[in-house]
Amino acid sequence: MSENKSFWAKLKSWIDGDEVIINADEYISTRERKDKVIGENMLGEKHAPAEKLRANSTLYRVLSVGITVCFIVVMLGVVMDLPMFGDPGSITNNEVAARYLEKGIEETGAINFVAGMILDYRAFDTFGESNVLFMAVVAVLMLLQRDKKNVSAVEDKEMAEDEVFDGQDSKIILQKGAKVLAPIVILYGIYVVLNGHLSPGGGFSGGSIIGAGLILFSAANGHKKMQTFFTVKTLTKISVACLLTYCGCKSYSFFTGANHVGWEIPKGTPGDLLSSGFILPLNICVGLVVACTMYGFYALFTKGEI
Amino acid sequence: MPVREIIAAICIIIGLLVFLCGTYGVFRLKYVMNKMHAAALGDTMGLFMVVLGLIIMSSNIFVIAKFILIILFFWLTSPIATHMLAKVELLTNKDAEERMKDK
Repeated sequence: MSENKSFWAKLKSWIDGDEVIINADEYISTRERKDKVIGENMLGEKHAPAEKLRANSTLYRVLSVGITVCFIVVMLGVVMDLPMFGDPGSITNNEVAARYLEKGIEETGAINFVAGMILDYRAFDTFGESNVLFMAVVAVLMLLQRDKKNVSAVEDKEMAEDEVFDGQDSKIILQKGAKVLAPIVILYGIYVVLNGHLSPGGGFSGGSIIGAGLILFSAANGHKKMQTFFTVKTLTKISVACLLTYCGCKSYSFFTGANHVGWEIPKGTPGDLLSSGFILPLNICVGLVVACTMYGFYALFTKGEI
Repeated sequence: MPVREIIAAICIIIGLLVFLCGTYGVFRLKYVMNKMHAAALGDTMGLFMVVLGLIIMSSNIFVIAKFILIILFFWLTSPIATHMLAKVELLTNKDAEERMKDK
């Protein structure tokens, strides 16, 4: 049992990025000695890590050039095998495009064919893009969020000054403008997301419009008011739920052969709002992830917390 | 019919000239306040004249409604954005008034 516990403690501290320290008292008593040992080595100019690195610098340079050349050769070799750009005989330029145009509406059910392309034929690619957005906001959250471990006196002073400024000027013009504009902007964003399969637009553009509306609201009414309904927890929940939904929908699609064999999701009449199978829910998922990411970046870079 | 097109063309050309003045001013003027003034010309007067020309040309009532919405949106957002930029500049730049005097 005790071994188990120590294993989980090790794992937890490893995930947290700390040094693995189980017996803290022992570590503290031996730590200074270790520091001294390193210092002696540096003075003695023997076996010092920096010296070793410097001695190998020529090797590193040669290796880096070699690896780069290898990659260039491989990539150029692949490019040589690709069909010429604009070659009328290549498959991508006639058969693929022709099939998309002829059978696109029948196969995907989307009038806006770009949505049919990115959320049906190439849905896996779009899934990766949404994941990239989520990972970017998680990375920024890790680096910039102001919590117990990430505080400094200078930053606190600056934040206090900012709050004094915010309290002093009343921003009444911006507030009146945002009162009229923010709901309209967000509503328009929702319209663009929901009509992604019928008209130009879709998850990415609609999501960024919703994000812009949220930023406008936050800039006008203050960060505190935004936190009443949108916090880090909300962002994490929405993003993870959307990505999981996307993953589930597309897994079903791939499980059934990725060719809509045994496809039981009704496609509806092309042109209706509720049509084209999974494209509408996938658009909503992508739109929510993009909106959360946009607002998350804004909040983290200005205030350091969502 | 040609009279309508000529009026529309005159409106659009006036709007484009205003845009030209605004763009020239953005590069010609040195201080941010003056630059903002030049840029705001295009967003208000220039856009209005261009869209007015398009309204004269169009016959569908829904298209005209959309054009009017475009004008309303720009006339609502552009002054607010300019006002916020000017406010930040005044709050952060101590010698803003000195800079405004000598172009």
